[in-house]
Amino acid sequence: MRFTIYQESRTGQRASNQDRIAHCYSREALLMLVADGMGGHLHGELAAHLAAQYIAQAFQREARPRLPDPGLFLSRALAGAHHAILDDALDRLLPEAPRTTLVACVVQDGAAYWAHAGDSRLYLLRGGHVVTRSRDHSRTQLMIDQGLLQPEDAHNHPGRNRLYSCLGGNHAPQVEHSPRTPLRDGDILALCSDGVWGPVGDDSLVTHLTATPLSQGVPRLLDDAERRAGPNADNLSMVAMCWHDEDNPGPASAESISTRTMAIDDFTTRLDMTSMSKGPASDLNEDEIERAIREINETIRKFDQKR
Amino acid sequence: MPSQANCALPQGFQLDQYRIERQLSLGGFSIVYLAFDAHDTPVAIKEYLPNSLALRKDGETEPQVSDEHRLAFRYGMKCFFEEGRALAKLMHPNVVRVLNFFRANGTVYMVMQFERGRTLHDYIQKHRGELKEMLIRAVFARLLNGLREVHAHKLLHLDIKPSNIYLRNDGTPVLLDFGAARQTLASDQPVLKPMYTPGYAAPEQYEKDAQLGPWTDIYSVGAALYASVTGSAPPRADERAVTDVLQPVARTHAGRYDAQLLELIDWCLQLDPLARPQSVYALQKALIHRHAGADRPENWFSDLGSRLRSFIGRT
Repeated sequence: MRFTIYQESRTGQRASNQDRIAHCYSREALLMLVADGMGGHLHGELAAHLAAQYIAQAFQREARPRLPDPGLFLSRALAGAHHAILDDALDRLLPEAPRTTLVACVVQDGAAYWAHAGDSRLYLLRGGHVVTRSRDHSRTQLMIDQGLLQPEDAHNHPGRNRLYSCLGGNHAPQVEHSPRTPLRDGDILALCSDGVWGPVGDDSLVTHLTATPLSQGVPRLLDDAERRAGPNADNLSMVAMCWHDEDNPGPASAESISTRTMAIDDFTTRLDMTSMSKGPASDLNEDEIERAIREINETIRKFDQKR
Repeated sequence: MPSQANCALPQGFQLDQYRIERQLSLGGFSIVYLAFDAHDTPVAIKEYLPNSLALRKDGETEPQVSDEHRLAFRYGMKCFFEEGRALAKLMHPNVVRVLNFFRANGTVYMVMQFERGRTLHDYIQKHRGELKEMLIRAVFARLLNGLREVHAHKLLHLDIKPSNIYLRNDGTPVLLDFGAARQTLASDQPVLKPMYTPGYAAPEQYEKDAQLGPWTDIYSVGAALYASVTGSAPPRADERAVTDVLQPVARTHAGRYDAQLLELIDWCLQLDPLARPQSVYALQKALIHRHAGADRPENWFSDLGSRLRSFIGRT
């Protein structure tokens, strides 16, 4: 495989970054994902973190170096991530499981497979146009589909953030899977959170991602989205990959990666953990101490009432 | 260099809403106090105070934690919270009840129901083993009710031993000290490995990455039963795994106890986890049903409380 990849996540104007992004590749398979923890819910950041971690670990376990069935892998990994979030909530005695959107894409044998739940999107850009993008699992998207709302009015609509599918939470996610999509030389796959696609249109997205190498294009696109959103800028995250034909005799860009020489069991992983990466399991801050004590006492009281 | 012992809080010390009466026990990881709450109800308070990481000098209240130990101290605190979390979920007459959890003096405290009585360890010491068979069966059958509750919550105790089994004055047992308790599914790698008690810990507890499960607690129950019969703990399981010098009690104590009870003890103490009873329920059933056809008064179990009282006495 030969491709160029770039990822970046920003906090925007929010207090914390609840987005998690990752990519990971073996000699023959590539995984990319974006998870956007749902802020209106408890511990959204944790849900995004768990989902990203779970799926990246599943990939490393199974892509040795190929996934036997990429579509099945995505289906199992997303279901597993959902349950990992529920289990964690149970262990922490959270009254409600936290939630996260998720979009994940696997490339193997020159074809892409993706799956998503929620409103984090995947775009496929080819020849300067958006040829495919994932459909949001949001109320506004449903209204557009039913002709109740014009697409141009959607981004101001109050239902924009109302999602009917996500990982975690009380309902089983409705995961949508793409068909197997063969890639052509120069195709760009871009996965992003709504902090990116919300403020900018498709035109801006195409312009930034195709005009310059991704390592410049993605930061410029995020700059643009952040500027347009102004003081309301949400977390902004994107993983973008440009596919190169391995046999293409054209000059290889200095930034492109060829996995041809990778060892069979080798993985390269980049998981942006931002705020959660600073402390290993051993660190316990003041908030966590307070929270642990509160949780224990809540449990004690809960059981006392039954007595 | 032996680590300096921590000083206990003095008598009369007002700790949150509790008044310290005296120190009950001192461990490497904590101090347990007898204290009274605002209504003068006695409680047991366990103070997180790992000897190797924190030092409280005489006359001081706040322990000193050096910068190099701060991270480990916090990590240990996390383990202390795990114990709290584990116990908070359990409400069973044979499992110690947690009443409150709070922060003070730069550390954390767990308040538990105070039970009057003595530990099975003290009881065994006093009688040099050779506990009456009826007492053994009755105490352990009830204790296993508590352990079943523990396992039903996907927890393992991992430190069952006579000094963690408390006999109330009415003879009913209470399982104490969940400091080593662990969520069976937890993936945390312990940095501070819990200290297991030689003789009572199962062989798999000495191994790295071994599968711990109900069978691990069952080994410890077997070891506690062994001590009740012989007066001392069985040889260390890690040493047994090299050269097994354990004599089956079915042989050494034949005639003094019912053969079925002795065989049960030997069964629990098998080095191979799969060779032991696989569930607490199986073990409990064997403890209660001595053997088919044994005569037992109709009201044997309903009358257990008073029988136990007569065995143990009020003081």
